[in-house]
Amino acid sequence: MPEQQAQQQLSPEQIKALQEKIKNMSPEELKEFQKKQCIFCQIIAGKVQSRKVYEDDSAIAILDVNPANPGHMLIMPKEHYSIMPQMPDEETGHIFAVAKALSNAALRSLEVQGSNIIVANGVAAGQRAQHFMIHLIPRKENDNLNFQMPQKTIEDAELKKIRKVLADSLGAKAEEPVIVPLPKLNREKKVVDAEFNEKKQQKMPKQIKKSEDKRTGKKTKAKSEDGDGINLDDIAKVLGER
Amino acid sequence: MAERTRESCLICQIAGNNIPSYKIYEDDTALAVLDVNGSNPGHCFVMPKNHYPIIEQVPDTELAHLFSVANRISSSLFESLKAQGTNVFVTNGIPAGQTVAHFTINVIPRKENDGINLQWKPKQLTEEEMSTVELKLKEQIKNVGVGKIEKTERPATAIKRAEQMHISDDDEDDYFAKQIRRVP
Repeated sequence: MPEQQAQQQLSPEQIKALQEKIKNMSPEELKEFQKKQCIFCQIIAGKVQSRKVYEDDSAIAILDVNPANPGHMLIMPKEHYSIMPQMPDEETGHIFAVAKALSNAALRSLEVQGSNIIVANGVAAGQRAQHFMIHLIPRKENDNLNFQMPQKTIEDAELKKIRKVLADSLGAKAEEPVIVPLPKLNREKKVVDAEFNEKKQQKMPKQIKKSEDKRTGKKTKAKSEDGDGINLDDIAKVLGER
Repeated sequence: MAERTRESCLICQIAGNNIPSYKIYEDDTALAVLDVNGSNPGHCFVMPKNHYPIIEQVPDTELAHLFSVANRISSSLFESLKAQGTNVFVTNGIPAGQTVAHFTINVIPRKENDGINLQWKPKQLTEEEMSTVELKLKEQIKNVGVGKIEKTERPATAIKRAEQMHISDDDEDDYFAKQIRRVP
């Protein structure tokens, strides 16, 4: 990663002097200082070489020099923000629209079948650069990438507590969700399953997207209608499958 | 077709209150719920109420709004749940790990050694390979283009616009649907 180049060896005295200097800086000076230290700001300014694939007034996208997959892009705001929560909504919206367009471009030009968008805020989340960026990683089958997101069992009481805290903090009403009972099931599940299995065994011709959609739709339906009704575990199972 | 899609889509069912969920945020176009089997307590999903299987189908205005919501949740996770970090994570297409055919943003609170790994081992590409990829992407992004987002648009209008823009599956000739035809 290019950001490693930015790390310089400093003696303890130098670090102390630096910390003192930073402490006395005005917010504007601090921002300027951060910018000067940031390898990505240097790249954006054109002072450090990079493979630029997209650029506009506020955003830029370059190829990661140590890619997870060919076409791995870093999409960054030109303005220096350390983490995503510092981004104004307007810029957040724009930069993800850029990410969408680049994902689109990757799908069309790189013979890939998917993409991951990853943002890491904070070292604990795997952030390594001090400049907010979106990782856009084109994906294909068996590309040896293995992101691990284990499923944890979270107690109802804890979920309720977290829900209230987050809902309050987001300014939404922290009421219990409205639950509308599901309509009675008709027992066509077996038919659907059989159809699904049969189709699964056939090789899928390229243009049959439509029937595929129906198939997968039915698959989810059959799955969630399994049993007497739908409970949280069922949702978890489907939502949580990774 | 639209109705049928909604019936068979788990997330549309959640959005329609037909399936109980731990909602933490809701407005005209967006919904956020807790993952009951999350990777960490506080793991959330942000999704559009309209049904779009993959990100390429989400109109820019809605997409911008969804990620702004995700960003606010990310801030809340830091402030209210004292997360040490957060990840914003999207899986787009089966090879990327997508399991539900409705565009979803994961927002995950993080702490040290929590068993989540969103890192990768870099692949070695030659300069030539890098140049080829760079050229291909540069050329293609010219064709694709990046839309400008109208700043003043309200979510309510966004919904209307999205509906107008939404192509029904019957005359779907969308390139991505074919490309990612194996979306779950």
